[in-house]
Amino acid sequence: MKYVRFILKSLTRSKRRTLLILSTITLSVFLVTVLQSLLTTLDAVSNNPTSSNRLVVRHKSGLAQVLPMSYLAYLKQQPEVEFATYLQWFGGQYKDPSNFFANFASDETTLFQVFKEEFGASGVTEDQIQDFVRDGSGCIVGQSLADKFGWKVGDVIPLQGTIFPISPRLTIRVIFKGTKPSQENVLHFHYKLLEESVPRMKGKVGTFFLRVHNADEIPRLSARIDNHYANSASETLSETENAFNLSFVKMLGNISAIIQGITAAVLVAILIVTAGTMSTAIRERTTEIAVLRAMGFRTGLVMSLLLGEGVILVGAGGIFGVGLASLAAGGIRKGVGASVPFLEDFTLLPSTMLLCLGITFVVGLLSTFIPAYQATRRPITEGLRSIG
Amino acid sequence: MNGTLNGSMNGDAIIKLRNIAKSYWRETLEIPVLQGIDFDIPKGGYYALMGPSGSGKTTLLNLIAGIDRPTGGSLEVCGYELNDLDDDELAAWRNAHVGFIFQNYNLIPVLTAFENVELPLLLTPMSRRERRERVEEVLALVNLEDRMLNYPRQLSGGQEQRVAIARAIVGDPDLLVADEPTGALDHQNAEEVLNLMARLNTDMGKTILVVTHDPKAAHHARFQIHLDKGVFDKTVEVNR
Ligand SMILES: Nc1ncnc2c1ncn2[C@@H]1O[C@H](COP(=O)(O)OP(=O)(O)OP(=O)(O)O)[C@@H](O)[C@H]1O
Ligand SMILES: [Mg+2]
Repeated sequence: MKYVRFILKSLTRSKRRTLLILSTITLSVFLVTVLQSLLTTLDAVSNNPTSSNRLVVRHKSGLAQVLPMSYLAYLKQQPEVEFATYLQWFGGQYKDPSNFFANFASDETTLFQVFKEEFGASGVTEDQIQDFVRDGSGCIVGQSLADKFGWKVGDVIPLQGTIFPISPRLTIRVIFKGTKPSQENVLHFHYKLLEESVPRMKGKVGTFFLRVHNADEIPRLSARIDNHYANSASETLSETENAFNLSFVKMLGNISAIIQGITAAVLVAILIVTAGTMSTAIRERTTEIAVLRAMGFRTGLVMSLLLGEGVILVGAGGIFGVGLASLAAGGIRKGVGASVPFLEDFTLLPSTMLLCLGITFVVGLLSTFIPAYQATRRPITEGLRSIG
Repeated sequence: MNGTLNGSMNGDAIIKLRNIAKSYWRETLEIPVLQGIDFDIPKGGYYALMGPSGSGKTTLLNLIAGIDRPTGGSLEVCGYELNDLDDDELAAWRNAHVGFIFQNYNLIPVLTAFENVELPLLLTPMSRRERRERVEEVLALVNLEDRMLNYPRQLSGGQEQRVAIARAIVGDPDLLVADEPTGALDHQNAEEVLNLMARLNTDMGKTILVVTHDPKAAHHARFQIHLDKGVFDKTVEVNR
């Protein structure tokens, strides 16, 4: 392309302006890419393929209510169910409220059967599991949680109850790895410990998790369970684990609408800024454009050269912005992910990066099109006269 | 019509103007600028177009060079009836047949002398190497072979205008049009540019039409056409 050199040189006309617009676009695209990746990350929480064959059964009136433990027998009997377990959100604090992480009172054996993939990926041995099973005040923690607080196997972790009036001291028996960081920010201890020290939890539990043979059977199964307990003292609500997780994401508010709103605002802002800059850049060149056309450059060619300039400029900003976002992803996982649930899984999907680049490309075209079109529609003679 | 030059109405004419008119409109008010211009310029001619400010010199030159369209009449330049060409055809025609020289040189500031001169050739099918040879050739012709890599701001006004002339002739056009080519130059640089243009006319046979106020510049031409209020006043042969 013999014109590329010409286009690139045109961008050196005002280096300060080129740098200014480049950094504006880079920052905006960075922001848009991070926001969009936030969305896809949250989306993945409720779209986890390994959770698709799990069903969560809880009290119909909300998570604060508990179900009779006796339900377990009925649930296990259902032919679709491969394994069943139960767990209770404990909500304990470690030293300071800001050290938030998920901790559960869980059944020490069936936990590993139902969450086979999650624990299986960690290479936790049967011996290690037995260490945990044997120790009534033992616990297992995820690797990233252990890393965060510098824990190792054998350490004693004091947990201060916030929902329940107990503060167990738990000995770490296993540190496991999950398939993604969010699975590792968790602690499980023996359900019996909770049940024995909190009278109101005797024979009660918050949620049952069922692993089914075939995900297709979930709708039928959940309908049957909810039907079975309809009109009982404790009615149930059964849903897939993904749907269950989605309800937590939703607690963060209508994040999707907020993010899309911010994205749209940022895009409009870049559009305005680039259109303004490009139209100044093009207006300054009225005479030059007239000279090019006088020497025989067709209108369409001049137009393409100007559009090329806009696209290269905005496109470079887009590539820098997306690149910056992918460099920052690790930091976001560690930094923001430590305090905001789900964001420990923050990732930039290739499709998100492509989408952001595509949008940037379109913005580049749009913002240059109008001033370029106006410039090439002007009579040549007018352009030549404009410097007198 | 008064302005018709004897002997130039022949088949060899490179420029044939027939009853050319050009008006501008301010709201509904018609402002006639050129009226009933009939004129021929033979191939290889060197004509100076003179007249008071506002008499329509630039307007006429622009029509002949195909960057403006008349409101009446017909004009045949370099063998083409310009009214018959659409905008893209006209652009291609300009590239092939016309070289422009402006008062303010109008070089592209971000391009070197070499790149400025190369611009019109980008529109041709010439290879990179052919282009380079041709550009070097014309830059040598205007005595700027050692300034090829300089940017316009690194050149004097006279040098800039010579680069502009090189750019005008690089595509080997038949016709050179110049609007006040020496208007921004001092005496010595003006002289140099005028000598160069004379050489392009005598040695290379370029037809030259130059608009000028400067009697010295007009003196380099072989004929002076005087335009007044949009009509031809008189044509004078320059005696040497
Ligand atoms: N776009 C336009 N709209 C309206 N009037 C115009 C336009 N262009 C030129 N004119 C008018 O046409 C007339 C001739 O203009 P032109 O530029 O051809 O004069 P000129 O002979 O080249 O003058 P000068 O010696 O000052 O360059 C002037 O009265 C000018 O005001
Ligand atoms: Mg003029």
